[in-house]
Amino acid sequence: MEGIIAIWQRDLTKFFRDRARLLGSFSMPILFLLIFGGGLSGTMETMMSGGFGEESSGFNYVEFVFPGIVAMTLLMTAIFSAMSVIEDKNYGYMKEILVSPISRVSIAVGKMLGAATVSTIQGVILFLLIPFLGLSYSIISLIQVIPFMFLLGAALSGVGLLFASMIKSTQGFQLIVQIIVMPMIFLSGALFPVSNMPGWLDVIVKLNPVTYGVDVMKKIMIDVDSLSQTVQETMGLHITVFGRTVSVFEEILFILAFAVVFVAIATISFKRAHA
Amino acid sequence: MNSIISVKDLTKTYKKVDAVKGITFDVKEGEIFGFLGPNGAGKSTTINMICTMLKPTSGEIIINDYDAKKQKDDVRASIGIIFQENTLDEKLTANENLKLHCRFYNVPKNKRDQRIQEVLEIVDLFDEQNQRVEEYSGGMKRRLEIARGLLHYPKVLFLDEPTVGLDPNTRAHLWEYILKLKEKEGITMFLTTHYLDEAEISDRVAIMDQGEIIAIDSPTALKDQLGGDIIELSTEDNEAALKEIEDKMETVEVKVEDDTIHLKVESSDAFISSFIKTLEIPITKLNIRKPTLNDVFLAFTGRKIKE
Repeated sequence: MEGIIAIWQRDLTKFFRDRARLLGSFSMPILFLLIFGGGLSGTMETMMSGGFGEESSGFNYVEFVFPGIVAMTLLMTAIFSAMSVIEDKNYGYMKEILVSPISRVSIAVGKMLGAATVSTIQGVILFLLIPFLGLSYSIISLIQVIPFMFLLGAALSGVGLLFASMIKSTQGFQLIVQIIVMPMIFLSGALFPVSNMPGWLDVIVKLNPVTYGVDVMKKIMIDVDSLSQTVQETMGLHITVFGRTVSVFEEILFILAFAVVFVAIATISFKRAHA
Repeated sequence: MNSIISVKDLTKTYKKVDAVKGITFDVKEGEIFGFLGPNGAGKSTTINMICTMLKPTSGEIIINDYDAKKQKDDVRASIGIIFQENTLDEKLTANENLKLHCRFYNVPKNKRDQRIQEVLEIVDLFDEQNQRVEEYSGGMKRRLEIARGLLHYPKVLFLDEPTVGLDPNTRAHLWEYILKLKEKEGITMFLTTHYLDEAEISDRVAIMDQGEIIAIDSPTALKDQLGGDIIELSTEDNEAALKEIEDKMETVEVKVEDDTIHLKVESSDAFISSFIKTLEIPITKLNIRKPTLNDVFLAFTGRKIKE
């Protein structure tokens, strides 16, 4: 336990000390909010409204895309936080960790919780933009979504830890992550509904943990019940796997399982590593 | 004295290369044990296996009564390691680095602060403890690493090339700290170094070459084993002098290196006065010395330590 806290606390201290990283990591989500929220919302709403005529007033694209962009921030921050594993190896600190009696599970869990905390903080800071985007989410829903953001951050950092255990240079890591992160965002329903995908893309969508993350976040943040059935359909809020609609509970379970599997893989990689 | 480390028939084979070929040795509690060898001798492989960082192919390693293969965590808690390269977190302060170490090693919470201040005092970094490590000089970083290695009161402290890359002045200082530690805390030290004059402080040294331990004893005993004294001289005509020495005098060994003649004799006291009288060619330089660990190393491995 003590070891987990140590690893977690160290990553957090370093995060707050690195101002450039703190600011830099906001540029991307803000850019996306400007482009998608400001630039694309009119077009998207018109395109979508084709399907439901009179009811179109019920669909607000910015409201739809905001939870998606928060999820995207979680994904990017969580994965990039895992890069600290590579930095620790290159700067030698990993040796100090590996020769100590702290269990290898603690190292993996500590790194995962560190990344989850950092990404949740980044995500929550984005909430400050809500009034400027003309959105209104209930305070309760925002508070409810935070623990889930933490879980999602933890699960997604697992992907980062997996790559960090295989790649030796931070440059290589960044390259691979860019290649992986973009499809994970675009094929998740974060920016546009993914309900009408061709078969092979649909498989990727359904395997992508971000899909369920985005979906749960939307269901918590947006007052789904007030929307008409057609709007809900158009927003892609009913994800079906093998022809049956998955519940929020199942989605959370999937993300939890995802986190556990990846923490196990990370533990094995730390067991094998000899500095 | 009891053995704190006991290594038996230890081997490590990489694919088809035998890096360590069945070595056996003991390190006694409280001693400074020097572990020497040229690059590629299998030193690092051996240390990594003792420190539980590498799995042995076969053999047994017992440290502080724990089995390094099975009781890894107990072994890890019993040892402190000062690596050759920097393993500090430079973005954190010295104090923060030490606090993290206490957590990794589960030092009791109520003792942490006191121990941190204690080790900082030993290495003279008490006043600089709240600076970030990136602002430290090379020597200060080394001292901090030594302080950190001591925090959890290890039974054995491994020092892997602790003075590499430091200037001579800092090196000398560092050894003062290390000796002070040995006297104060009685910690067993396992030391590797390229600087053989530094290895002289060891109670015993082991020389490893090509995966095997070829000599193990106290530095004095090893030097005595070589026997005799070494005389180094230059003359106005080395070749003629060499011929004269070989014809007229009783030496153990004669060698010419660069423009110096090296003589090994059984006792320089008896040899030197008659030698100077006998030699007709004028001597330009003369030096008489006892063998050093460098000579021991050269005699055992046929190489100098740095090649």
